[in-house]
Amino acid sequence: MDIERTTDDPPPLRPVEFDILLSLAVGDRHGYGIIQDAQERGLGPVPDVGTLYRALRRLEERGLIKPSGRAPAADANDERRNYYGITPRGRRVARAEARRLQALTRAARLSGLLGAGAV
Amino acid sequence: MKRPASATASDRWVRLLLRLYPSDFRDEMGDAFVEAYHDRCRAAAERGRGALAAVWLRALVDSLWNGVGERLRPAVAWRRSGNWGRDMELAARRIRRSPVFALSVIGTLTIGLGAFAVVTAVIDKVLIQPLPYHRPNDLYFVWRDYTAWFDLKRGWVGGPDVAALDTAGGPIAGAVGLRLDQRTLSTNAASAGNPELIPVMISTPKLFDLLGVRPLLGRTFAPSEGGENRAPVIVLGYDLWQRRFGGDRSIVGSDVRLNNTPYKVIGVMDEGFHFVRHSSLGAPERADAFITFAYSLAGQSPRSGAFAALVRARPGASPQQIMAAVAAVGAAIDERTFNHKGLRLYPVGLEADLVAPVRPALVVLGLSALVLIIVLTVNLATLLLTRAAHREREFAVSRALGANRAALVRATLAEAGILGALGGFGAAIIAIWGTRMLVALAPLDLPRRESIAVDWRIGMVVVAVGALLGLCAGVAPAFWATRSTLATLLRQAAVRGGGRGRLRRGLVVMQVALSLVLLSAGGMVARSFEQLLRSHPGFDPEDVLTLRVEVAPWRYPNNASAVAFDDQFQQALAALPGVVATGASSAVPLTANTDQRDVRFPTAPGNTGQSDRDEPLVDVMQSRAGWFRTLRIPILAGRDFAPPRAGAPREAIIDRTLAAQFFPSGGAIGATLVIGDTLHPLTVVGVVDHARQYDLYRDGRPQVYLRDDDDTYGPLYFAVRTTRLPLDLVPDIRAAMRRLDSQLAIADVRTLDDIVNQSVRQQRLSAVLVAGFSLGALSLAAMGLFGVVAGTVAARRHEIAVRLALGADNGSVLRLVLGEGGVLVALGFVVGVPGVLLTGSVIRSALVGVSPFDPLTLSGVVTGMMIVTLAACYLAARRVTAIDPAGAFRGE
Repeated sequence: MDIERTTDDPPPLRPVEFDILLSLAVGDRHGYGIIQDAQERGLGPVPDVGTLYRALRRLEERGLIKPSGRAPAADANDERRNYYGITPRGRRVARAEARRLQALTRAARLSGLLGAGAV
Repeated sequence: MKRPASATASDRWVRLLLRLYPSDFRDEMGDAFVEAYHDRCRAAAERGRGALAAVWLRALVDSLWNGVGERLRPAVAWRRSGNWGRDMELAARRIRRSPVFALSVIGTLTIGLGAFAVVTAVIDKVLIQPLPYHRPNDLYFVWRDYTAWFDLKRGWVGGPDVAALDTAGGPIAGAVGLRLDQRTLSTNAASAGNPELIPVMISTPKLFDLLGVRPLLGRTFAPSEGGENRAPVIVLGYDLWQRRFGGDRSIVGSDVRLNNTPYKVIGVMDEGFHFVRHSSLGAPERADAFITFAYSLAGQSPRSGAFAALVRARPGASPQQIMAAVAAVGAAIDERTFNHKGLRLYPVGLEADLVAPVRPALVVLGLSALVLIIVLTVNLATLLLTRAAHREREFAVSRALGANRAALVRATLAEAGILGALGGFGAAIIAIWGTRMLVALAPLDLPRRESIAVDWRIGMVVVAVGALLGLCAGVAPAFWATRSTLATLLRQAAVRGGGRGRLRRGLVVMQVALSLVLLSAGGMVARSFEQLLRSHPGFDPEDVLTLRVEVAPWRYPNNASAVAFDDQFQQALAALPGVVATGASSAVPLTANTDQRDVRFPTAPGNTGQSDRDEPLVDVMQSRAGWFRTLRIPILAGRDFAPPRAGAPREAIIDRTLAAQFFPSGGAIGATLVIGDTLHPLTVVGVVDHARQYDLYRDGRPQVYLRDDDDTYGPLYFAVRTTRLPLDLVPDIRAAMRRLDSQLAIADVRTLDDIVNQSVRQQRLSAVLVAGFSLGALSLAAMGLFGVVAGTVAARRHEIAVRLALGADNGSVLRLVLGEGGVLVALGFVVGVPGVLLTGSVIRSALVGVSPFDPLTLSGVVTGMMIVTLAACYLAARRVTAIDPAGAFRGE
């Protein structure tokens, strides 16, 4: 059997992937909901639909998120939608990424790139 | 559940965009994708039409970018996360596990690519690579066209023509005149030992400047080193310098002797310099050394053509301009010398002139090689596709167990690449050996024959192309097979067949069609060659040795002394043990070495009163008694030459063509014949068969033989018919020559058989190669058919088992499966017909004595192909009978 062993070190997260994990950390979302979250955060570019779904697929393949079944839509239109939820592993990876960003920010502050009050 | 109409319309558009993504992405994410766009559109619609348009524009760009990105993802992942060592190990293990598959891939590539490389090397060297001169495309040979009044399209030009061309100006930068002569080379005047007859190029001094080449040593001719009272100087060719002088650099400045006249060596050309003088009728000829004319070309007889003219165009002058300028010079000569009879001068590009005779054959070869490589790739794809189909289950299970797709693609490609490279390696070896063999087989006058070789660089390219072909053929199956998931596979298991089977069938139809095209071309070329060998050239080439002797004018200054020597030499030859007949002539058949003159028979009954018809241009040869008996050229009437007697008329012998034209009811013997504007009338003493001088398969011009004793000049070819092996005579002949005159050399020792073989070498080569190619293609097609039918049997195992269980007998099931193969063969034939027609018109010019649509050959090819292809189907279909219904059901 030709089975590729996955290495232990996960590849780094792309910005759009981190965006997704951030949204799903709060609760299950459908695709457009994730885009709306990103718009509300207002940090950086909002991902396109194609980019988003390719990222969703990658994350799903890596076991960081999972489809959470078809839940009734939050809005009045009684459509059924594809929802995604974060897996425990996804949460771990997202947390690791957040820590990494935090450490980077701290380092940036120490090196004088960021003022004390800057976010 | 209700949706506004606009929403469903937009859904359709989104689904269209979704087609840009690969199918597995569509399957998994499609619905969610549509939903997201649906939401986005609704949000935008609330903000107005402009926003909606912006969303759609963005959606288009987004889908293009991400759709292509997703399709390329396996490749990107492969590049990012490669584990080469492991991939190679896996691939090697797979190859070892299925040796038959590996061998068929490697074998296919070795044969196909090897043949292709050989042909490419030849075509590249002969047709494509530029000649080794400065701006070779600006060089032209100029010929005289006499067709306005007799049948000579390509005649030598006169000395004054060359002078006129050289001073013409305009687009013509300059011209040189060329003659080729045989001279006896000796190095030491005192001993005069070791004489050797060599071809010498005699030209006007600016030959090398016109070609734009520099010597390896010393210098070339100065402008003053030509014409009357010129200092005798010589430039040596590289080969002669190496062979005769051992590459001694101090040779420059010393003297060598040509025909006993001292010439000072002023330069040596380098190894890459190969200049050939094109001929009016025969093959291009090369020289071992170069000297200049000891006379002025302008002062030569303006009527007679004796020189080749080489012209260089000014940079930027178009061929049309050169054509016009040369024609203008020709018109002036026609007016001045030929009284407006219609003489024309015309230029032919050097390259075109050199390559023209072999181009049809090479084009046929190139096309066959191309078709072969297509068949080869198709076959390779079929093989790999079959393999992918076999391993589909394995792939699906691997993926279900978590293997990532990139790894599977990578391993499959590595496998295909390794096989390709191995095949390429085999092909490179074949190419190197094949080229050597080909050059040995090739006609001696094949342009640039000596430079045709496959070196290690071409070898490397072949290996790389092999690997690339392997990869190309591996891409489709690799991606295809790995797309399948366990789910789709299980679904497919229920309904066998499907898309991949169709593709394979299509490929096989294509293979059959291409093989038909190649085989019909091969059949034609082989038939043509057979016709060629069967033709009767008018003489019997077996057991005859020919050799050239130049009875040097510096040793035998008058006719009597030269004839006396010829008599002695012929007697010496006749006295050798095992010799049954001897003779001599100025031209050996099939060497295009005759002179052309116009003749008339003043009193012949066949005269019509039209001078065009009554003064035909004929091939004129000088012969000694015994020539016809030695070559077994039948004497149809009269007798051979008799020894000359003082006061008796000069004798001539004509061939049957002339006899038939001028003496249709006989009576040629004793008639009077006049050659050109000579004063001596000749008496016809015999009529002989037509011994072909040019092509083995067709008569040339009418022929006249003159008795050499009456006026001998130039070299003679002696012929000896023997009961021994002809070449065994050579030492005896050399010894005889040494006894008679130690300063003369014999040259060009060849058997007549060899000359005949030489004349059909090109056709033989084409026949061998094209026949080989087409058989290769046929076996590839048969392999493909076998594979498809065997695959069908395997795939329909269950169905066939049911049929057998329900009472069908083996025969009917066999017919069922065979029918499927038969349909593919029939389709292939139908598809191949336009190809056959097209090929026929392309190869027409390379065929001799057979139409490109010869019904006999075509029906033979079709029948042969049917037998082979149906046999392949049958062998595969026979596996049906091995199906045991009970076993088949148990296996399910």
